[in-house]
Amino acid sequence: MRALIIDDSRTMRIIISKIVREIGFETGDAGDGQEGLNWIAENGFPELVCCDWNMPEMNGLEFVQHARAMPGNEAMHIMMITTESEADNVMAALEAGANEYLMKPFTKESIQDKLSILGLVP
Amino acid sequence: MNELLNEFLVESYENMDQYEGSLIELEKDPTSKKLVSAIFRTLHTVKGTCGFLGLSRLEAIAHAGENLLSLVRDGVVSFNQAIASALLATGDAVRAILAQLEKTETEGDLDYSELVALLVSLQKPAAEGAASVAESAHPTKAAPTEARAVPVEAEAVPVKAPVKAAPATKAPAADPKPESKAVKAPVEVPVEASAAKAQPTAKAPEGDSPSGSKASDSTVRVNVELLDRLMNLVGELVLTRNQIVQLTGSLESVPMQAACHRLNHITTELQDRMMKTRVQPIDALWSKLPRTVRDLAQLCGKQIRLETEGAETELDRTVIEAIKDPMTHLLRNSVDHGVESPEERRAAGKNPEGRILLRAFHAAGLVTIEIIDDGGGIKVERVKARALERNLITPEKAATMSQQEVVNLIFQAGFSTAEKVSNISGRGVGMDVVKTQIEKIGGMVDMSTEVGKSTTCRIKIPLTLAIIPVVIVGCRGDRFAIPQTNLLEVIRLDKNLMVETVHETPVVRLRGNLLPIVFLDSVLAIKTGEREETQHLVVLQAGDRHFGLVVDTIHEAEEIVVKPLGRALTAVSCFAGATILGDGHVALILDIFGLGSRAAMFQSTRAANAFEEEAKAQGVGTGALLNELLVFHVGGIRAAMPLDMVSRLEEFSREQIEEAAGRQVIQYGGSIMPLISLSRALGFDETKSSDGRVQTIVYARNGRAVGLVIDGVEEIVRGNIEVQPAGRRSGVLGSAVIGKQITELIDAQDLVRTHASDLFE
Amino acid sequence: MNKTRQLCTFVLEGQTFGIPVDCVLEVIRSLPLTHVPLAPEAVCGLINLRGQIVTAIDLRRRLELGPLKEGKTARMNIIIRTSEGPLCFPIDEVGDVVDVEERLFEPVPETMTGTARKLIDSVCKLPGTLLLVLKGDYAELAGI
Repeated sequence: MRALIIDDSRTMRIIISKIVREIGFETGDAGDGQEGLNWIAENGFPELVCCDWNMPEMNGLEFVQHARAMPGNEAMHIMMITTESEADNVMAALEAGANEYLMKPFTKESIQDKLSILGLVP
Repeated sequence: MNELLNEFLVESYENMDQYEGSLIELEKDPTSKKLVSAIFRTLHTVKGTCGFLGLSRLEAIAHAGENLLSLVRDGVVSFNQAIASALLATGDAVRAILAQLEKTETEGDLDYSELVALLVSLQKPAAEGAASVAESAHPTKAAPTEARAVPVEAEAVPVKAPVKAAPATKAPAADPKPESKAVKAPVEVPVEASAAKAQPTAKAPEGDSPSGSKASDSTVRVNVELLDRLMNLVGELVLTRNQIVQLTGSLESVPMQAACHRLNHITTELQDRMMKTRVQPIDALWSKLPRTVRDLAQLCGKQIRLETEGAETELDRTVIEAIKDPMTHLLRNSVDHGVESPEERRAAGKNPEGRILLRAFHAAGLVTIEIIDDGGGIKVERVKARALERNLITPEKAATMSQQEVVNLIFQAGFSTAEKVSNISGRGVGMDVVKTQIEKIGGMVDMSTEVGKSTTCRIKIPLTLAIIPVVIVGCRGDRFAIPQTNLLEVIRLDKNLMVETVHETPVVRLRGNLLPIVFLDSVLAIKTGEREETQHLVVLQAGDRHFGLVVDTIHEAEEIVVKPLGRALTAVSCFAGATILGDGHVALILDIFGLGSRAAMFQSTRAANAFEEEAKAQGVGTGALLNELLVFHVGGIRAAMPLDMVSRLEEFSREQIEEAAGRQVIQYGGSIMPLISLSRALGFDETKSSDGRVQTIVYARNGRAVGLVIDGVEEIVRGNIEVQPAGRRSGVLGSAVIGKQITELIDAQDLVRTHASDLFE
Repeated sequence: MNKTRQLCTFVLEGQTFGIPVDCVLEVIRSLPLTHVPLAPEAVCGLINLRGQIVTAIDLRRRLELGPLKEGKTARMNIIIRTSEGPLCFPIDEVGDVVDVEERLFEPVPETMTGTARKLIDSVCKLPGTLLLVLKGDYAELAGI
């Protein structure tokens, strides 16, 4: 299974990629929503997208809207990575088509929990 | 260091640069949503990662700043000076913690609760005031002018607050280089756009980024260390190429010659391209300056707009590093002395807001950087009077000098333009230090002025420092490299040009002038090997000082790759680095400035040579071997210190001394140097010189310098000296008879350990 | 099983020294030394290690072992890694890499004096010989 990590912080990308890889995903990454869309255009839909909220160029919500408008995206799960200060936005993202959200800071276990809700890990 | 932490530091430093830059722009354009969002995001990113790394202190500060920013972003609080200052202080605090993390991998234990409280307080009262007034005045919250029209309350609140927060945030800044080299920041290197660009763009939504492809599409991040290594390899290749070209010169083989020609060509090209990968736009330095200008301008009650032109001009990163201090100093000088106060400007019919323009461009293989202010200009007559008063020029000379020449007198040692003592800039470091720093990297600096209108300071520097042209000289069998930038001419010493002595100072008569000379073997204390029969004189220039250096042989002129010396040797001021010669041997590169000051110290003591002869004759010395000693008086006694411990001798004026953290400090070479009163440290009463001058010995270790205040220098002596142990006295090694007088030998290391241990850990 | 540490050993003036294997970059034949005038006395010169300039430290001097006998030269160089860059030690001969059990390490005896004490991390009791383990600390080794 493949996961796409979208975050404007390199450090965060490293952190999330590491955890997701430990769970058993191959990972790809992108620095903002637009790069994320480009990645999908090139590599096809991944099973999982972990997407930051606040990014330059194209933010998380815009990414969800654009990605969900692409044909054939149904099997892709989108998990928004947020902080408590952005909690209000979570609803908007879920409405736009995100499947789950995850509060920073999180652990391998909390990601695993969320993924099992999504049915991505046993 | 943990790779993740390292990545976090690199990224966060970048983020904080951006944070600061955007904040200062926001001050000019307080309604820009885009800027507020960008500022918010940088802090948000830092905060977001903190939780994973367990950085609770940093998280708390970033969180408080972020909350305040989100209110500004949403138009609930209007942006004002107080908020700007608090947010800048937040940036300082974040940086301080990052620096601490870099050094110790912990957040340190400084208390930032005052800052956090300030950030919280700014959210409330101003918020109520601003929100209500803004709303009643205008239904649209974001209306910019309205938001600004209510500064009465908003500004009244925290006038004092930022000042109060300062001690908490300033303390860690005692480390003068938060972005030290441990964290190697990668630079962006443009590569040919390849697959990244070829990807289908049809799905990319329109109108998102009108500029089209982003920089990241065609660049990769490369670690600076890797680049340095590549640069070194290219250097090696250049050397090998030189060898091969030499060897094939004598061969008849045509195909070999042709291949060699190609090798030559490709190597040159490769070297050229490689140089280009290490360049950075000068903006890497400039982007940090608006903050400096802003803070200074506020302190002197001036209004100054900083503008830049040619910020994309590229320079080798080593050069950027080297001009950082002089550039900052010149800019401070423009703010403090160049631009007039708003009242003066109004009176002169000018815009009360002054302007400083930084301009950079390439020309003739050099980079020119200009700092142009639209201030009152330099008062030529006053400069002339000051120069006369200080005996820098003779009245005859003054009469014939052009305005340009007079203005440039301010770069002379011993000149200070400050009419009244200013607390802000210019103090401590004279413009001569700026000039020396720039010349040290092969650059030039000059000043021109138009009275009442503007002053322009122009710096010209080479593009790169990594490969320099040198001449290789031989001295008692060793080889040394002399940078061409310092070299004026080479002359053979024979009966037409002989060394003579004036008061025991060796000189030669060169075209009617007396040129002081230095023997390379004696200044470097080389005793092995033999002098050649025929010797050569290399005429050198170090700043304004000319001197001749006597060496044995002159080898070829070469382009060499400068390699750093290990830390064990950085204290030896006579060498700028080392290089590998064509035959694989290592040669040291002479630092002409270091050599010059060392030589000057020799010559200031006419008795030195005589004493050496005397010492030899008497066969003095069975005790500790202390080759050369600087003898001085302090607190009424005669004292001495090994010359290798002395980095420089400097004289300051007493007014230049400032007080910081309970310690006397002085601005020196672009940073703050603590002073230790040697009389007090040795338990004597402090003696104050009557002329208001302070003599110091600069003692430097591990890149830190301390000024040891003495009463005055007497002489330099050489030879073996018998040391009598002193019993247990702090800072004293023992005593010895030097020049027939009892002299105390100072243990500088011990003194510094006792009185400034915090600086030399 | 007992935990062991790997040490690279070498001999200077008849005394055996050890340095943790992971600090050792390489061991090479003696290279020409370029003398550095005015350098701290522990520095015996610079070597060209395939294009990299490495400072050579005279361990004899630092350890107060007395000068090299007239006419003799060091035959080998050990290059070690420190947090502040590589250093080179000219030495008499290189010994083996030995695995030493953790329990054989002992702190430096209280009675040891002089600069040697700052340079030696611990002492190892090997059968028939005492092995002095060096600290890989740049500043101490270079005597600055």
